[in-house]
Amino acid sequence: MAPKPAFELPYFYNYRPYFTLQPVRDTREKQIQLWKELILSFCKHYGMYIVDVDDFPLFANKSIERKLTNEARELFLNALVMEGRAEWLGKDHRKCLLLWRRIEDWADLIISWVQENALENGVVTLDEMRTGDEARGTDLENLEMIILERAVRLLEARGKAQMFKGSSADDTGVKFFI
Amino acid sequence: MERAASGITRKFVLLAIGRLPEELGRSWFDKCFRGLDRPLRMAFRRRPGISGLQGATAARAQYKTLGEDVAKVRTEQMTEQLATFKKSLEDFAQKYKNDIKKQPAFRAQFHEMCAKCGVDPLASNKGFWAELLGIGDFYYELGVQIVEACLATRPHNGGLIDLQDLRALVAKKRRTAKEPVTEDDCIRAIGKLKALGSGFEIFTVGSRRLVRSVPTELNRDHNEILEMAQGKGFVTAAEVQAQKGWPPGRVEDALETLLREGLAMIDDGDPDGQRRFWFPCSSGDGNLSIEGQLGEGPIR
Repeated sequence: MAPKPAFELPYFYNYRPYFTLQPVRDTREKQIQLWKELILSFCKHYGMYIVDVDDFPLFANKSIERKLTNEARELFLNALVMEGRAEWLGKDHRKCLLLWRRIEDWADLIISWVQENALENGVVTLDEMRTGDEARGTDLENLEMIILERAVRLLEARGKAQMFKGSSADDTGVKFFI
Repeated sequence: MERAASGITRKFVLLAIGRLPEELGRSWFDKCFRGLDRPLRMAFRRRPGISGLQGATAARAQYKTLGEDVAKVRTEQMTEQLATFKKSLEDFAQKYKNDIKKQPAFRAQFHEMCAKCGVDPLASNKGFWAELLGIGDFYYELGVQIVEACLATRPHNGGLIDLQDLRALVAKKRRTAKEPVTEDDCIRAIGKLKALGSGFEIFTVGSRRLVRSVPTELNRDHNEILEMAQGKGFVTAAEVQAQKGWPPGRVEDALETLLREGLAMIDDGDPDGQRRFWFPCSSGDGNLSIEGQLGEGPIR
């Protein structure tokens, strides 16, 4: 696969005040909005699913010597959580699961992937779905297990898939009925 | 008395004047000295009589008639001249229609010429200008684009934008349109926006011209702070205090207002620990920043 083109950072990323939480409400809302969009598009571009609050490349900009405070980091991620575009992993709020594609959209993607690879009525393991040959080059490649599992569970609820517990999480098999 | 006698009587009369009784009045004199020389007669006409009054009224009426005639002729001439002028201007506009539309410099000169003649080609969109040139349309369209650009960047700059940035932004939007846009055009278009009472205004801060699209009242202090920020894009309270010699409360008040109006943003991240107040409208990289702003779509 060709290497991805570098992510184009937006204008505000190089404007220092955007790294300080703004006290005025309107300005802050705008700031949060911009950061939310940036985090999502950045993760989508690089296929990242988990943001480590303390070690996420976007949160510090060396070229202008600015970094977000912990408060700001949590605030921006929280705003994503409120919108259903992210979820905290653990109560300490140190890691955040990013849903730059909603679970239902992932589920739809799986359906079309199944159809493309003629896996209807076949059985695959969850692990194969994200690391197997059929997954290579698709958005399913290296998809975070938590997200994959949830998307499949959603399909199950819709009666389009059935999961079979294996000896370990990786062994969990899925049968699709489409 | 006869004319011939006038020479002989002159001396006598002159001598008699002093002793003549007041109550005899002027008509009496007129009758007596009708044949006298004009200068002499005038000497007795100290006060107007009935005939004098009548004469004056007649003269006034005549002057009036004459004046009216002149005015009429003048008006006719003017109307004629105006018609000729309008015709030439129309011919000119028609002839150079394309130049006016395409060449900003030519357009500016045309406006200057119109201004000197007291003609405002933008006064109405229904006049012959619109029909002839579509020049009204040009500015109305530009006006709409300016409003759009101001609104789109408002969250970022609080409704204050450098005229240069605005022009660049509008020019970028109009990429498809062939006619280039100058700052002069923007100023004219904004001038027309005032008619809407929407509070669009251009004001000068230092060497730059800023366009304000929010009805914020900026006082002198605010303007001076904006001017200070021009080079670096930011100021600190200490800098303002040192440079302007204002008491701390005044500095704080001014910065606080700028912040509240969304014209300033704070930056606490500098290693020196001093809070910086940044002004997006003078961020220096204005063009770049605003392009980024508009180019960005929401994530789906």
